[in-house]
Amino acid sequence: MGVEELLSQFGGKYAQAFRMTWRLTILAFSIALVLGVAVTVLRVSPIKPLRLFGDIYVQIFRNIPGASLLIILVYAFPYLNLVWSYFTCVLIAAGLIPSAFCSEYLMSGINTIPIGQIEAARSIGMTFTQMITKVVIPQALRASVLPLTNLLVSTMLTTAIASQVPLNPQELTGLVAYINTHAVGGVTAFFISAALYCASAVVIGRIGSLIDRKVRIRR
Amino acid sequence: MRDARTNIRDALYEEPGPITKRYTAVGTAISLAALAVLAAAVVRQFYINGQLAPRYWTIFFRWTTWRFLGQGLLGTLRAAAMAGVVTFILGFILMTGRICNYRILRLIATAIIDFVRGVPTLLFIYFFFLVLPQLGIRLDAFWKVTLPVGISACGVVAEVLRSGVNAVPIGQKEAAYSLGMRETGIFLKVVFPQAIRYVIPALISELVIVVKDTTFAYVVNFPDLMQNAKVLISNYDAMLSVYLVVAVIYILINFLLNRLSDTIAKQRPRTLAAAELKGPTA
Repeated sequence: MGVEELLSQFGGKYAQAFRMTWRLTILAFSIALVLGVAVTVLRVSPIKPLRLFGDIYVQIFRNIPGASLLIILVYAFPYLNLVWSYFTCVLIAAGLIPSAFCSEYLMSGINTIPIGQIEAARSIGMTFTQMITKVVIPQALRASVLPLTNLLVSTMLTTAIASQVPLNPQELTGLVAYINTHAVGGVTAFFISAALYCASAVVIGRIGSLIDRKVRIRR
Repeated sequence: MRDARTNIRDALYEEPGPITKRYTAVGTAISLAALAVLAAAVVRQFYINGQLAPRYWTIFFRWTTWRFLGQGLLGTLRAAAMAGVVTFILGFILMTGRICNYRILRLIATAIIDFVRGVPTLLFIYFFFLVLPQLGIRLDAFWKVTLPVGISACGVVAEVLRSGVNAVPIGQKEAAYSLGMRETGIFLKVVFPQAIRYVIPALISELVIVVKDTTFAYVVNFPDLMQNAKVLISNYDAMLSVYLVVAVIYILINFLLNRLSDTIAKQRPRTLAAAELKGPTA
């Protein structure tokens, strides 16, 4: 099938799928950021059990395969009387996994701050809260722009697991599977989706490195 | 003053005084209680839904269960190993393209790297699973997993290798030139062997992504851990317990790989971290 024929038949579906992929990506990334920050707070808190909990959380979700997590949420959790819509399950899975990576990036962002700065902050009489909000967090965020940009891209790639469940409308990967099982879409169907993913990734990457160049502190 | 403050986590806090110590103790007690309640709630949820029933869990005391899961695990490891080889070879080729002297080859390599890094593994798997057969190309299920997984990881591997090559001091190259070595010889005998040592931790981290991606093997009916878990589930009607155990196995494998990567990075302080090159996470 040629590009034109394919687009005339499935063009609307591609537009829907593209929007769906972005919708999942933005929502999942927001979840990942909120959870990632929360877990990072736990991991740097002075309370040992919370630190341990944060560390275990990160190890679980950075190491679990997306397919495995999604299947547990969709097919196994109903046995615990926890039934969520397919959309919610995809969102949880595609949010939890990047949240672990988000916390890892924030931790390494914090680690780029020289300990001397903490000592300096303390010696000029800053309180703990001041130190965290004025010295630690701004610098950690500045150092995390590039990793978080990559995280946004990988969150988008993670949302492809949505093709494993019936979702309406489908996202880009599910649509390729759909077209190829219902019509002979061939290579073209694959490349349209791939191009849409890639274009998104390139745009995200460009914006990310622009911001990074502006805010990163070179040490 | 405490010594060995290698960890910023600890550097954030001053040596606690008696009041802070008391607060921390209270906080620890409260958080322990909260975590205990959380754990109890999880166990209760299992219990009231009958998921703690022995029949779901005694299957893991059977030798046959583990043998079957072990076979699946072997399939996973076989696929991951081959995908690792594929991704290393492709990554090496792309890396040489990325650093070579011809502008056009550099552009092509960069375009391919950006492409494979921007497309989800599942899309590649569907390409091999649904599109290639339409073109008359029939592949074994094994290759329908390993090739797409390898292809989708090779972009990051190429960038990792390139950062390793860039990290080799220029003096090494200059010394080799002054000995009269040729370009190819310098690269293969002097630069690359050193580059690879810099990036071994990053390459092992990439292997984690490869292992995770092989879970999609069930899409093409390759008997990996996930696929065998499905068979086990239909035999014993034990969905939750089997999927949880399988998830734990995956987490352990990847955890150990990450540990290995960290250990090597710590033993050789001059290795490069992959933090900024991290590719797909799922």
